[in-house]
Amino acid sequence: MTGCPESPAVTAANPGTPLLQVQDVRAGYFAGQDILTGVDLEVHRGEIVCVIGPNGAGKSTVFKAVYGLVPVRSGRVLCDGRDITNISPQDALRVAGITIVPQLRSVFEQMTVHENLEMGMVTERHKARVRERIDYVYDLFPRLAERSKQPAGTMSGGEQRMLEIGRSLMFEPRLVLMDEPSAGLAPKITRQIFAAIDRLNREIGLTVLMIEQNARQGLEASHRGYVIEMGRITHEGRAAELLGDHQVRRAFLGVR
Amino acid sequence: MSYFAQALVNGIALGGMYTILVLGFSIIWGVMGVINLAHGEFVMVGAYLAWMASDFWDVDPFISAPVVFVVMLLFGYLVQRVLVNRIIDRSSLVSLLVMFGVSIILQSVMKIAFSADFRLANTDLDGAWRLSDQLTIPVTRFWILVVAVGVTAGLGLFLGHSRLGKSIRAAAQNREAARIVGVDVKKVYAVTFALCIGLTGVAGALISPLLAVQPFQGPPLTLKAFAITAMAGLGSVRGALGGAMVLGMVEAMLALYVDRIGTNLAVVASFVLLVAALVLRPQGIFKGLRHVDATST
Repeated sequence: MTGCPESPAVTAANPGTPLLQVQDVRAGYFAGQDILTGVDLEVHRGEIVCVIGPNGAGKSTVFKAVYGLVPVRSGRVLCDGRDITNISPQDALRVAGITIVPQLRSVFEQMTVHENLEMGMVTERHKARVRERIDYVYDLFPRLAERSKQPAGTMSGGEQRMLEIGRSLMFEPRLVLMDEPSAGLAPKITRQIFAAIDRLNREIGLTVLMIEQNARQGLEASHRGYVIEMGRITHEGRAAELLGDHQVRRAFLGVR
Repeated sequence: MSYFAQALVNGIALGGMYTILVLGFSIIWGVMGVINLAHGEFVMVGAYLAWMASDFWDVDPFISAPVVFVVMLLFGYLVQRVLVNRIIDRSSLVSLLVMFGVSIILQSVMKIAFSADFRLANTDLDGAWRLSDQLTIPVTRFWILVVAVGVTAGLGLFLGHSRLGKSIRAAAQNREAARIVGVDVKKVYAVTFALCIGLTGVAGALISPLLAVQPFQGPPLTLKAFAITAMAGLGSVRGALGGAMVLGMVEAMLALYVDRIGTNLAVVASFVLLVAALVLRPQGIFKGLRHVDATST
């Protein structure tokens, strides 16, 4: 995958308000020590957007601010035009339809693949509905179907990441936040993960906002990108443009 | 040979008693990472409730057990809301100290209320079935075994197949991930603790005709529960049954084959077993709900 996919956001077929808007958000764990000092970004329906930047720039904090895990001190977070600033994590899931794939391994290791997927929809009472969604995820990831009875902890790192992504889809999310989908995986597996994200985007129109340490691969898999440094956005644009940008290349892509 | 058969029966019967005694302790540890040092005191309170029912109203402990379950469930919920909820994210030392404090309070309160006299509840399910001259089955223990096996099977089904049971297992394995998928972890902990204390109270009720009911009966029971749980796997329902059976059998055999060891010294057996298990298989003999991990407990 070298070329970046064309952004659906720039086509005329997709007008209207963005799915997620982060407007001038300042956020941090302690008052007076804001990690984000005015971040603006938006994600349109059907887009894959990647946030890159050095360690400690505030990439993860952007997610936490959206997901209600860190208090937003000023600015707003909008989902579908609705104010969801400082929403609780449970409401982010239930009300806003945002799910998260965290960076650290988050499968339930001693539960089977099937049970892990069930947990992705633990708030759903109708068993038939859960089964329907599991079949849907198995269709997207036949590999998971093969391993359905296996304890998740015995699978490879790449398969576990697939399971985490599959689990995040159980809820029929409108937006999936992925925190470093490539973390801790071999390059070959990373490519498979990004290919899977790309496929989901094209097949089911999945909207993804991801953070990537691996800037080149992350951007290559995305429509648009943002560069965050010192708690604010310093560059933004189509992923292909960022990949070609002289400054971005020097700073983050290891090119002189 | 027939002595051996009797020791076998005694071992299984003892194992059944240990099973019902250990389940609540094991699941609280496995799910919440809390070592409930007041476990034996919750047994003791349950035993007193059953003794009161027996002594004041002439109700059999096997009949009052469901009521004891409900009362202890509510008591457990209260303790969870007032105390345990506040310390759940703190280091394990904090919960150890808090639960130790609870154990001392319960001992003292019961001593003030009922004095330190030994009591026994009456049950109609007592005596022994004589199968032959040298083989008898103790009736009370037999029925305790039946209850223990039933409760174990029920818990296994609950944890394995119900939505709430799965949430409990999920929270035990990965608290953060459970939160992310929308599990209300606080609620899961409250339910777990209440349920386990209810069960622990039932254990106390069932042993009230066998083991002297008194304010200081708890600590040895806590120690045994600790040994069986650490040996068998934290929060493993099958492990609790297996570990309890192993320990019951070992104690019964020791009593038969080692002269003058007495039942008191047989207590040592649980710790010898524990040390052996920890050396040979530190993750527990059975697969538990949580990995034994110095940082997580």
